Amino acid sequence: MPLLLLEIGCEELPAGSVYEAEAQLPSLSERQLGVAPDAILVGPRRLALLATVEEPTGDEWVKGPPVSLREQAAAGFAKRHGVAPEELEERDGFLGVVKPAQPLAETLSGALDGILQGLAFGKTMRWDDSGLRFPRPVRWTCARLDGDPVEGHGTTTFGHRFTKGQVEVRSAGAYAETLRAADVEPDAAVRERLIREGLDALGDWRDPLRKLPEVIHLVEKPVVLDGRFDERFLALPGRVIETAMQSHQRYFPLGGNRFAFVANGGDPDVVRAGNENVLEGRLDDASFTFERDLEAGIDELASRLGSIVYFAEAGTFADKSGRLVRLVEQLGGGDASLEAARLAKADQASELVREFPDLEGSIGAEYARAAGYPEAVSAAVAEQYLPDSAGGPLPETEPGRVLAAADKIDTLGVSFALGHRPTGSRDPYGLRRAAIGLCRLATEGGLTVPRELLPEEVAEFVEERFEGLLRDVPVEYVRAARAASVPDLGSVARLAQSLAALPDERFEPIHTAYIRASRLGEKEEAAVRLDPGLFSEPTEREVADALAEVEPQIADALQTGDFDAAVEAGARLGPVLHRFFEDVLVMAEDATVRENRLRLLLDVRDTLGALGDLAQIPRGAG
Amino acid sequence: MALNYQEMIQALQVYWAERDCVVMQPYHTELGAGTFNPATFLRCLGPEPWRTVYVEPCIRPTDGRYGENPYRFQHYYQLQVILKPAPEEILDQYFGSLEAIGIDTQRHDVRLVEDDWEGPTLGAWGLGWEVWVDGMEVTQFTYFQQLGGLDVEVVSGEITYGLERLAMFLQDKGSAWELEWAPGVSWGDVFRESERQWSIYNFDEARVDLLMREFTDRESECRRLLERGLPLPAYDQALKASHVFNLLDARGAISVTERASYIARVRDLARSVAQDYLAAGERSRDAAAVA
Repeated sequence: MPLLLLEIGCEELPAGSVYEAEAQLPSLSERQLGVAPDAILVGPRRLALLATVEEPTGDEWVKGPPVSLREQAAAGFAKRHGVAPEELEERDGFLGVVKPAQPLAETLSGALDGILQGLAFGKTMRWDDSGLRFPRPVRWTCARLDGDPVEGHGTTTFGHRFTKGQVEVRSAGAYAETLRAADVEPDAAVRERLIREGLDALGDWRDPLRKLPEVIHLVEKPVVLDGRFDERFLALPGRVIETAMQSHQRYFPLGGNRFAFVANGGDPDVVRAGNENVLEGRLDDASFTFERDLEAGIDELASRLGSIVYFAEAGTFADKSGRLVRLVEQLGGGDASLEAARLAKADQASELVREFPDLEGSIGAEYARAAGYPEAVSAAVAEQYLPDSAGGPLPETEPGRVLAAADKIDTLGVSFALGHRPTGSRDPYGLRRAAIGLCRLATEGGLTVPRELLPEEVAEFVEERFEGLLRDVPVEYVRAARAASVPDLGSVARLAQSLAALPDERFEPIHTAYIRASRLGEKEEAAVRLDPGLFSEPTEREVADALAEVEPQIADALQTGDFDAAVEAGARLGPVLHRFFEDVLVMAEDATVRENRLRLLLDVRDTLGALGDLAQIPRGAG
Repeated sequence: MALNYQEMIQALQVYWAERDCVVMQPYHTELGAGTFNPATFLRCLGPEPWRTVYVEPCIRPTDGRYGENPYRFQHYYQLQVILKPAPEEILDQYFGSLEAIGIDTQRHDVRLVEDDWEGPTLGAWGLGWEVWVDGMEVTQFTYFQQLGGLDVEVVSGEITYGLERLAMFLQDKGSAWELEWAPGVSWGDVFRESERQWSIYNFDEARVDLLMREFTDRESECRRLLERGLPLPAYDQALKASHVFNLLDARGAISVTERASYIARVRDLARSVAQDYLAAGERSRDAAAVA
C-alpha cells in the first residue's frame, strides 16, 4: 500500500502552535484520508504527516431517491451523475447508480487541502490575499504518494534555514532521511532525546521554569552547548541568576557559574561566546537593579507602595499591605507574621520584580534578610505565594502559612468584589489556584481559617474546592458539611470526612429521620416551643430525652473539633427516631398534639442539622 | 574590522535602498517607537504599496536611568523598515541585511523566537518574532494585522532593528557607552550627559499641571483638526498627546486605573485619524479614477 507524505512548510511557528497542530493531525488524517497516520513529524518550520493509504478498489453504490419518487426525482439525480434515467438501478427500494471508485490520485489533493485548512489554532494571522489563516505564514507544501507527486502540492522542501536550501523529496519514504541530510531533525521526539542527552552529558541540569517543551520547537538541528559567566555574579541570589537565565533566554542552569543552552547551528565557539555575553549583560543589568533595590532597602521600598496600584478600584499595594496585617491578626498570627505582612508586598516597588515578575516574594525575602529582619520574617515573605500550584508544597513555617492564607483571602475577596470571578476555563487572576491553596493550608497545613473572614460568595467558591480536593469523600458529603455551623474551613473538610466514614447501616436511620423531620416539620404549622405535657406516646418522650442528651454532645464535639465523636453522637439517635416514626402518628387529629409533635421533629432536624444539611446526601448513598 | 555605529546605519540604509525602499529621515516630534511615525502607522493603512527605511529616535521617559545603567536609556535609536505588501521572501531579505553588516549567518546562531506585538495606544497588533543572534535580541519582526483598530487591507512586514543592541553585538561591547559611533567618538560621549539631564527632567522636573493641561489641549486640537478634514496634522496632535502621557507616567502622576483610560483616549484619537486618513485616500483614488 502506498505511503503518503504531506508537509506544510511555515515560517517559524510558536511552540504552542506546533503542539496544537500535533494534537489535531491524527484525527484530521483519519477524517480526510480514512487512516491514522504512521508518523507525525513537527517542528518550527514544518508540520508533516506520513500515512499508509489504501487505493480504493471495486465499485461504489451511490444511493438516490426512493423508487416511489421516480417520476419527480429520477431525472435530476441521473443527470447529476451523468447517466440516463433508465440506466438507474434499484436496490432496497431506492434508485441509484454504480460508479467505479475514484482513484486516490484524484481525491488526495482535496484531502490534503482539507487537512491544511482543518487545523485550528488559538491565534492566527493573514500574510497575503489567499484568505488562509495560520499562526505564521505558510510558504510551501510538499506531498508525495510513494514517488508520485500530488496535484496542487510541490515535491521539494527546505533544509536548515542557514546551511541548506531547497531540496527534492524523492519519495514519501525518503522524507525523514532527506531532511536529516539537510541538517534538520524532523522528529520532535528525536530532538527531545538529543537535547536531553546533550544536557545530561553536560552535568546536573535543571529546568525550574519548564522551558524544555518550548526549546524542542525552537530548533531544527539541536546543538547543546554550555557556557560560563563571570563568578562575581554568584553574589546574586540563586533565584535571580536562574530567572535571568530562564525567563527570557531559555537557558538551563548547571550549577555554579555554568549554564547550558540549545543552539540551532553555528560555530560552537562563536555561539557560546555570544550567549555568554548576553547572559553576562542580563546579569549585569540584574546586579545593577538588585544593588539599587538593596541601597533603597526594604523599608524604603515598602514606603513606596502607596503609589503603586494593586488592582484598579482596590487601592494601592499599601492598602493591600494594611489589609494583610489585619487578616494576619484575625488569623491569630504572631509577631513574625505581622512583620512579614507589612513587608510582604515591598518588593512590588523594586526594579527587579518589575523586570522579572517571577521573583516576587523570593526577592522580597532577600531584601528583608539584607535589612537584618529575623529569618522567620524573611521566610514568611518568601513563602507567601505558596502553594503556587494545585499539588505544590505548602509554606514550611507557621508565619509563612498565616501570611499565605491572608494573601489568598485578600486576593479572592478583592477579585470577587470587583466581579472578576473565574468563568469556564478563564481564570486570569489564578483564583481557583488561590482557593485550592487556601483549602490546603486549612487541611494539610492545619491552619485555622475562620469562615467569617470570607465574604459569602468567596466562602462558597472556596468551600466548593473541597469537592475536588477530598478525594475519598463523595461531593454530597462536602455539600452537607458546608451547611454545618462549624467555624473554620478545616472543620468543614474534617466533618465531611467523618460523615462519609460513618457506616451505611448507622447513617441510614438518621439520614431518613432528618429528611422526614425536615419535610413534615417545614410543611405544617408547628408549635413555637416543645411542651412535654402534651406527650401521649412513650417514644415521644424518649426522643425528647435523647435530643436533650445528644444535642450538647454534638455541640461539644464540634467545638473541640472531634468530628467523629459528633457524628457518632448523632448516629445514636438513629434507633429511637426509627421507633418514633413506626409508633407515632405525627399528624394527630388534635391540633395541639400535632403541632407539638411537629415541633419535636423540627428539634430533631436542628439537632442533626448541626452536622450539616444531610438532605444533600442522596438516599442510599451512605 | 567591525563597522562602527554610523557605518552600520549607513550599510543598512544602503541595503534597503537597493531593495526599493524610500530612505526617510526621523520624524519631527517625540515618538515611543518607529511604528508611530506616519511613514509606518498611516502608510501601512490602505491598499497602496510602500517600502521605506528610516532611523527613528525612541523617546521612552520611564526607561531612563540617569545615565547610570549601560543598558537602559530614555532615548535610543531604532532602524525601521516597512515592506508593504510583505514579499514572500521577506525573511531572506532580512537575513541578507545581517550579512550586509557583517553577521555571518553560518557561523552565528540566528533564531526567530515567537513575539506577538501589541501597541495599545495605536490600537494595533501583529504577529512575528524577536530575532536572536547568539541569544542577543537584535530585531523585532512583525506582520501587522490591525492598525488604529482596523484590519489592515494589505499585510506589511515591519522590521525594527535595535541599533544599540546590534552595534554592541557587532563591536563586541558590553556597554552602549563604549560603542564606537565614529572614529574617536563613543556613544557615551554623545549621549551620556543627555541621559542624565533628561532622566532628571522626566522623573523629577517635568511640570505635571502643565502636562495635564497639554494632554487635554492636544486631544481637543486633534479632534478639531479631524473635523477640518486634516488627518495628517491631527495625527501629530495624537502623537504629542501620547508623548505627554508617557511623561506623566514617568512622573508617577498616573495611577494604574487612570493609565488604562489615558491609553484608551490616545487610542481613540489614533483610531479616528486612521479612519479619516483612509477615507481621504479613498476619495483621492476615486477622483483619480474619474480623471
